[in-house]
This record gives sequence, structure tokens and C-alpha cells, in this order.
Amino acid sequence: MPGFDFSNYNRNAALHARGVPLPKATSTGTTIVGCIYDNGVVIAADTRATSGPIVADKNCEKLHYISPKIWCAGAGTAADTEFTTALISSNVELHSLSTGRDPRVITCMTMLKQHLFRYQGHIGAYLVVAGADPTGVSLFTVHAHGSTDKLPYVTMGSGSLAAMSVFETMWRPNLDREGAVALCSEAIKAGIFNDLGSGSNVDVCVISKDKPTELLRNYMRPNERGHKERNYRFPKGTTAWLNQKIISKEDMKNYVTIENLSGSDELATGEKMEVDS
Amino acid sequence: MTSLMGHPSGQTVGYSFSQPTAAPVKEHSFYPYTDNGGSTLGITGSDFAILAGDTRSTSGYSINSRMVPKVFKIGGDDETGKGAHILLSVVGFAADGNALKERLDAVVKMYKYQHGKSMSVTACAQRLSTILYGKRFFPYYVHVILAGLDEEGKGALYSYDPVGSYEREECRAAGAASSLIMPFLDNQVKFKNQYVPGSGEGHALQPKKAEPLPRETVEQLVRDAFTSAVERHIEVGDNLQMMIITRDGIEEIFHPLKKD
Amino acid sequence: MIGHGTTGMLGEDGIHVDMNHLKSGEVKNLDVSERRLFGLLSHSQQPLTSTSMAINFKDGVILGADSRTTTGAYIANRVTDKLTQVHDTIWCCRSGSAADTQAVADIVSYHLNMYGVTNNESPTTQVAASLFQELCYENKNQLSAGIIIAGYDPRHGGQVYSIPLGGSLHKQSFAIGGSGSTYIYGYTDAHWRENMTEQEGIDFVRSALQEAIKWDGSSGGVIRLVVLTKRGAVRHLYLPDNGYTGPGATN
Repeated sequence: MPGFDFSNYNRNAALHARGVPLPKATSTGTTIVGCIYDNGVVIAADTRATSGPIVADKNCEKLHYISPKIWCAGAGTAADTEFTTALISSNVELHSLSTGRDPRVITCMTMLKQHLFRYQGHIGAYLVVAGADPTGVSLFTVHAHGSTDKLPYVTMGSGSLAAMSVFETMWRPNLDREGAVALCSEAIKAGIFNDLGSGSNVDVCVISKDKPTELLRNYMRPNERGHKERNYRFPKGTTAWLNQKIISKEDMKNYVTIENLSGSDELATGEKMEVDS
Repeated sequence: MTSLMGHPSGQTVGYSFSQPTAAPVKEHSFYPYTDNGGSTLGITGSDFAILAGDTRSTSGYSINSRMVPKVFKIGGDDETGKGAHILLSVVGFAADGNALKERLDAVVKMYKYQHGKSMSVTACAQRLSTILYGKRFFPYYVHVILAGLDEEGKGALYSYDPVGSYEREECRAAGAASSLIMPFLDNQVKFKNQYVPGSGEGHALQPKKAEPLPRETVEQLVRDAFTSAVERHIEVGDNLQMMIITRDGIEEIFHPLKKD
Repeated sequence: MIGHGTTGMLGEDGIHVDMNHLKSGEVKNLDVSERRLFGLLSHSQQPLTSTSMAINFKDGVILGADSRTTTGAYIANRVTDKLTQVHDTIWCCRSGSAADTQAVADIVSYHLNMYGVTNNESPTTQVAASLFQELCYENKNQLSAGIIIAGYDPRHGGQVYSIPLGGSLHKQSFAIGGSGSTYIYGYTDAHWRENMTEQEGIDFVRSALQEAIKWDGSSGGVIRLVVLTKRGAVRHLYLPDNGYTGPGATN
């Protein structure tokens, strides 16, 4: 059976009725914005993901790919924005393949709104859809219940009020690329600093009619962490242990594949984790 | 025989649902408390005590102010707090915190006028407990920490629950990020979960012994605790306020924190 | 959401309205709280917010609406287009939940276009109104939609239909709807005349909406009009008029 699995519905409903709280989903209590300019459209987002008052991810990505020239910014339940945009991205590509035409933003927006309307708001995805297609440049918002709006500048998420205050004071018609990027990042910064649900960095995506899309990841980093004053490395042997078992490299080969790298260690590291030196 | 508790209205226990035909009765009630977020922490040393807190005041996802101090001097001679020898930090509901601070300040001043000598920190700690318990059924919605120097000149720190249960401790974190900061303090101040390398095998391994830390180290720990709490708790930020009490008096230091 | 469908009550008119469901975070074409998701705002109790109307006049029909969309107290869109085309000269005014009314209008639009192609003849306004009614009546428990349909077809000329919350269908000489309409029942009744000229009709709709916007906090922004005649559809836009002269005026 395709789609969602409802097999735990009755059990969960029973537990909930007896006072067991629902599990907390990671919400991207977010600021996302979008703005049209003379030759394209810009969308931007902050990078904080929260779970209640705790920061779950300091540098998450809220700008989602739909097609090369259609992108989405997502607010609301993180999993819902992620899966909904991935699903629609797939369907948009299949649609484009079957029609032999470039995908249109309005098509994507309609697919999103029909999907979200079917789930009556239970899929908590609040999206800003932007892109360029043969009909021109478009910018939409899609709410979780399936309503849509078409506007020259939009904001969504918990920081939408802070961001909209920037748009309503600084926006003017016929912006150029630089003006739109500056305006959007300023709006995101208003969200970052004045809304507790938003924080960390500014991600920007510029989609224009005649140039390839630019994803400016961490376009601004106004919240770098300062250095720690003390060193928190522990001397070897600080942690207590009751017994130890040494597994030789030969034994390990029973469980995992081991490859010895000949070159520099840098090759082996994927994304490097920040650690105390 | 009558029972004190009315029998719970014949509610059936089970996993079946009754379908209510009417909407549940909406109860409108006045709830006078708000959580204004923020975090505080206190650490003592052999001849000093430090109380610190961030200066952000929040409600919901909004920032009320980026500069609302949470640490106060108690029983000073004038409005600047000059001559005070007791510190108080309050976190939780800011309005209650302010009222409590004002009340304790007045009590300590009255004590001096009536007895001709300053109130000891031990006495003040006991009095604060009484004040809190006095509102047992309409509590001050705060987690307070009291700091000063005891009769021997050693740093003294007392932490309270909202209704007056209190305890003298070496270190304590309170407020929004307390669950983030307290384990760090246990590890770095009381050396919990730290053992002396090579001091024994298995259960014989010796725990690292805790002893009072020097002031410079404690200040560094406080700053690291807050810069780290700011990273992971949305209600903590803007500025760090530190008050250090020594036999020479009280020193107040402000430090910028991240503002997102 | 668990427990969905177990709350709510029968209203005085016997219509099941589950306010909890309704208020749980929908963007109303004028109201209700999505903001609750972010714990920011409380929500209003009005089921329908906005003002919209449609009238018959000598040569056809005129539709009019304000442009405010709210989520709680926040104006999510101040230049909304609530006048939606479902066929060449059949339009509707949407009020209630933005998601519900957009979905219904999209479905009706699809059917009318299919009708036009398969029958090689444009659908009449009545056909459109019946489609709207079918959807609104059969799904009354899940929808909060108040729709006014107005259209022009060569056989019947201009026609105005109204579908309030329960899904009933009413053919009227003029119709008003949405939260702001309560303020202008007296005004429209007092000023209504059959067979007005186009300019008289425009003035009537404009002044009535102006009055509704003035008194209703959930209505506002600009006034959008559509005039439907045998010449087709013509849009009009009227920017806010600040010339308020009633009691309490400060300028």
C-alpha cells in the first residue's frame, strides 16, 4: 500500500486519550521569505531548527530543490517540509519528462496545494514556492491547509512578522538582483534577531530567467560562536571502566570492511565535525 | 463514612471512545503567571561567590528586552546597592522575581535598622525560605539563588525551590537552560565522573577530588557555560551579567552574548 | 490529529460546525489562526471574515470584494483576489476558509471547462451554481465556505446565486456575504434598485463595500470589482478611501 501507514492510529489515539502526549516533532520555527526582482526571484531562510525551546540544528537547510529553476523554502514541521517537497520534486520531474517541457511553477504549486489540502492541515508544511519557467517568474506561498497566495514579496514562519516589517518598509518595485538579495537577507536577519524560533545563518537562493540557479548557502553568518575560554580535553584514563575487550583489526573484518588510506587523512573525512582542539 | 475525595464520576477505564455530542465546556480562567525565560548560575570559591545570569527577557517566541538583569544586590545603602553583602538571582516569572527581590531587600534593611548590624547570609537564607513558604498556595513562580560570604569568609550559596525548600551548595544552575548547564557544573566544579588516571583498576579507581576553584577559573567556567547555553537554548542570550562577591565588596561585570 | 471529529456541536440552525477543527490553524479568507502553530496569537470567533457581494444590473452582473486575508490578528495578504474566475463570464466571490474555497473553485473550474469542451457550448451560470452547491452541500461537515456565484450567459443574461455555510442555493437579485456583510444589510436594502446602469451599479457595490470595510475589522485593503456583460469580464480596482466623515472622525 502506498502512502502513509496508519496501523498505529488506534493505539496512539487510545494512549493520547489517556493523557500520553504526542511525540514532539522537530519544527523549523522559522523565518522564510521570497521576493521577485526584475529578472528573477530570490528566496531566503534562516538555519535554526528547534524542538521546543532547544536548538535541534544550528545550521539546517530550509531551501529545498524542486527542479533546477523551481525552489521551495519550508517552515513548519521539518519532516513534512522535507518529504512533501521531495515528493512533489519527483512528480514534477516525471511530469516534465512525460510532457517534454520544462516544469512550471504553477504546476508545482498546484500539486503542493492539492496534496496538502487532501491531508486537511495534518501535514504541517508551510512553503514559499519560487521559480522561473517559460511563462515568466513566479512567487507563491502555500499554507498547510492548502491555501495559496501570489504576491511580489512574501514571508512565512514564526519570524514572518519581523521579516514582513522589513519588506513593508523597504520594498520598492523593479528591484535588481542585488537589491532583492539584500532585502531578503535583511528580512531574514530581522527574523533571526527578533524571533526566538529563528537563528544562526542566512541561506539565499537566486533563480533568474536566463542564468543557472545560485544556491548561496550561509550567505551571511552573523552568529559565529566565540572561542571557549577553557580547554575541555580530558587526560586519557579519566573515564572509569569495569572491563575491556580488545578487538583486533582481523576480528573487525568479520563485521565491517576496512580500507587503509594511503593518501592524506583529509580524504577520509566527509563533513568535518567541530571539536575542541 | 464519608470519603474526602469524591468518587471520580463513574469514568470507565478502557480504550474505547465516547463521542461527545457537544463541545467541551470552555473554562475561562485568569492565569497570572508567565515564564520569562533566561538562565542563572552560581558557584562558590574559598573566599568568593559568583552569581551570573543572562539579561534576556522573553515571552513566547518574542524578546521583551535584551537588558533585564536577573542578579541583584540585597540590603545596600542606596539604590545603587552600595554596601550590600548579599546577592540574589531570580529566574522564572520576572514580575514575581522583582517583587521578591524588593521584599527581601526591605527585610534585610529593616534588620539592620532594628538590630544595628548587618544580617548574616545564613540568617538571610533562612528568612528568604520563610518568605517563599509564606506564599505556599500562591507561590512566587521563581527559582532563586542567594549568595554571599559566610561567618568564616567562605563563599556561601543557597538555592531554593519556588515554595522555600533550600539547601547550601557549591554550585547551582537555574532557569531555562539549567538542565544544560548543571551537568557541566557537576563535571567541571565537583569533578563528577572524572577519575584519576591509573589510580586503580575497576572499582578501585579513585575519583578526582573536588576542591574550591580559583576565581579566574570559575569566571571562565561561567562564561563558557553561558556561551554554550546560548548555542542550544533559544531563551538564553543577549548579555551575561556576573556579580562577584569578595571581602572587598561586590563587583559587577557585563559580557556580550549572541543575540539570535 | 487525534480526536479529530469528536468535538464540535450542532449550531442553532442544525448545522454541524466543529469550531475546534475550524480554528485549528486554517488561513481564513479572512481569518482564523494559523499563528497558533507558533503560539503567537489567539483567534477570533468569527466563522466567516471578509466582505463580498454581487449584484444584477441592466446589462449583466457586478461582483465585488475586499482584499484582506487574515490569520488571527495578522494580515497574511492585504491585496488578495477573492474574485475567482471559473469560466469565461462566470465568477465567484470566496469567503470563509481560503483553502476550502480555493479547492472548491478549482474543482468547479475544472468541470466547467470540461463542460465547455465536451458540449461545445459555454455552461450557464445555473450549471456553475449547481456544481458549487453539490460540493458545498455534500461536504458541508468538512467545509467552511460561503460562496457567491455571479455570471452572464446570453440566454439568461446576468444571474446571481448565493451558497451560505450549509450548502443551500439561493438565486437572488443581489447577494452579500462574509463577516462584513452584517454591517451593510440596512445600507444595501435602502439603496437597492432594480435595473441600475453600469455606473450606478459600480457606485452601489463600491459604496456598500466601503461601508463594510469601515466597520468590519476583518475586512480591508483594496476593493476589487468585476463587471460581467455580453462584452465579457472587466476588472476594476479601487484603492482605500480615507474620507471617513462619520462619528468620531479625526480629520
